[in-house]
Amino acid sequence: MIGLPRSVADVLQSVTYSQRALAYLQIDAQLTLVGAGGDLENYGLGALVLGEQASDQAFFLEGLLPLVETPYVMPSIELGTGRVADLHFYMETEYVWVVLLDVTAERDQARRVQQKAYEMTLLQEKEALLNRRLEAANAALRATQRELETSREALIRVHERLQRELTEAAGYVRSLLPAPMSQPFTIDWRFVPSTELGGDAFGYNWVDPHHFALYLLDVCGHGIGPSLMSIAVLHVLQSTSLRDVDFRDPSQVLGALNETYQMQGHNDLYFTLWYGVYHPATRRLDYGSAGHPPAVLIDVGTQSVQLLKGKGAPIGLTPRAAYLCETLVVPGNTRLYLFSDGAFEVQRPDGSMMTFEEILYFLSRPGTDRTSDLDLLYQHLVQVRGDGALEDDFSIIRFTF
Amino acid sequence: MATMQPTLQKKICMLGGFSVGKTSLVKRFVASVFSETYLTTVGVKIDKKTVEVNDRAVNLILWDVAGEDDVSTVRMSYLRGCAGYVLVADGTRPSTLEVALSLRERVEADCGRLPFVLLLNKSDLQEQWAIGGAQLDELRQEGWSVRSTSARTGEGVEDAFRELAVRVTAEQ
Repeated sequence: MIGLPRSVADVLQSVTYSQRALAYLQIDAQLTLVGAGGDLENYGLGALVLGEQASDQAFFLEGLLPLVETPYVMPSIELGTGRVADLHFYMETEYVWVVLLDVTAERDQARRVQQKAYEMTLLQEKEALLNRRLEAANAALRATQRELETSREALIRVHERLQRELTEAAGYVRSLLPAPMSQPFTIDWRFVPSTELGGDAFGYNWVDPHHFALYLLDVCGHGIGPSLMSIAVLHVLQSTSLRDVDFRDPSQVLGALNETYQMQGHNDLYFTLWYGVYHPATRRLDYGSAGHPPAVLIDVGTQSVQLLKGKGAPIGLTPRAAYLCETLVVPGNTRLYLFSDGAFEVQRPDGSMMTFEEILYFLSRPGTDRTSDLDLLYQHLVQVRGDGALEDDFSIIRFTF
Repeated sequence: MATMQPTLQKKICMLGGFSVGKTSLVKRFVASVFSETYLTTVGVKIDKKTVEVNDRAVNLILWDVAGEDDVSTVRMSYLRGCAGYVLVADGTRPSTLEVALSLRERVEADCGRLPFVLLLNKSDLQEQWAIGGAQLDELRQEGWSVRSTSARTGEGVEDAFRELAVRVTAEQ
């Protein structure tokens, strides 16, 4: 070695040979292996045969010969034994020399560092991917939320329109009700439809010059359907337009209505009805009920209460229903109340129901001069309900004889 | 008596980004095994697999070249004398397809046009798949051979290497 004392060169050679597992191959112009030496076993090259093709025996040489440049190094090549070598190629005279120097330790060290760096990078890539997916999921959620808000706004608009229509329908029902009257007897009433519009309707009218009909009906369910049916029945009663029926006879009226309004032909709707006919000359009251709450007759002087019940199924439930006519001579200084179940079937916030006895107690109390007993009853119900809105129609008529 | 044809020998390089599964594909092809443990490659690892193409034995000398990353690029000198190459991308990491496309351009600039196949590896991770079919269809329309593979299950591996073996020996 140039510039190195012989002893230094010898030490270097010794160190290289012992620590780098030096080996070499010598290849001629015909790519035949003509020489080999050093620690060939270290690289799995212990069985080389001189005189044979080099690349057939050392297959890492495939494609590398003849050399296109010299010298050059191909670093860090792991061979079949698992050992790693730097391959030094150079040409001298007509021979190609390949020197193998073991760099397994350096490769392992580099691999440890690279492994950590790659694992860190892969984690960062996964984190970035997860973040992108989260962002995409968030964007999808926001889009869904916007769609829901749009749908909700549309629903609100539809709800508001329906509410307006229900209010208009309630106004129409109210317009069909007769005005309060004071001669020849006093009649007053209150009608507060539920928010969904119920099926309550009532009326009173002269059947003939001597007989005065009074009635209140309640179609099952809430909404436009029951309301339309209550209007239809109200029209029949107001116009006394049932063929061959004496509207002075409650049993005939209830029976004829039951034949006409069987629920199978009326969208499964049925209704309750209290129907009475008053003859002022004799103070006789004929009445009947089709599943309706009893009317309440109260003696103003004694506050005694009489319930005017009738026997008969709600109208429309069964074609074989029979209705009886009850008769009563109405004492003087009395009040008759007609109402639907919405006037007492009120649920308190604790889940308990108001009772029929409570309304009797309320109605039998002496009234005040300033506030109508009908208004007091309504205010009481609202208070009992607790949230200001009744679930059912509130309908009540008071006849003062 | 039939004349026995000499065994052919072809150098094939495995190229792609890091951790796309190049080493695992070679292990699956050469030894039919798969390891869940990721061990990065430094430099090159050389393996040999003999296949039969048209009744002739072909030694495929597989150069598993260390993956390209942000700080180190593939040494083109490793490709010296290769007859074809396998471009590998990880189907769950779109960036590795970009690396493969870039490598293909550099190989062509350095070595000229050589037979190659593009493998979208890790096809067993369909729920994490992130490379769209439209981009791959474009490559196929340009004449690329694009295949899905899974070194874990072995799906498509043998066929991919065999296709390349046929193409690199076609002119012999």
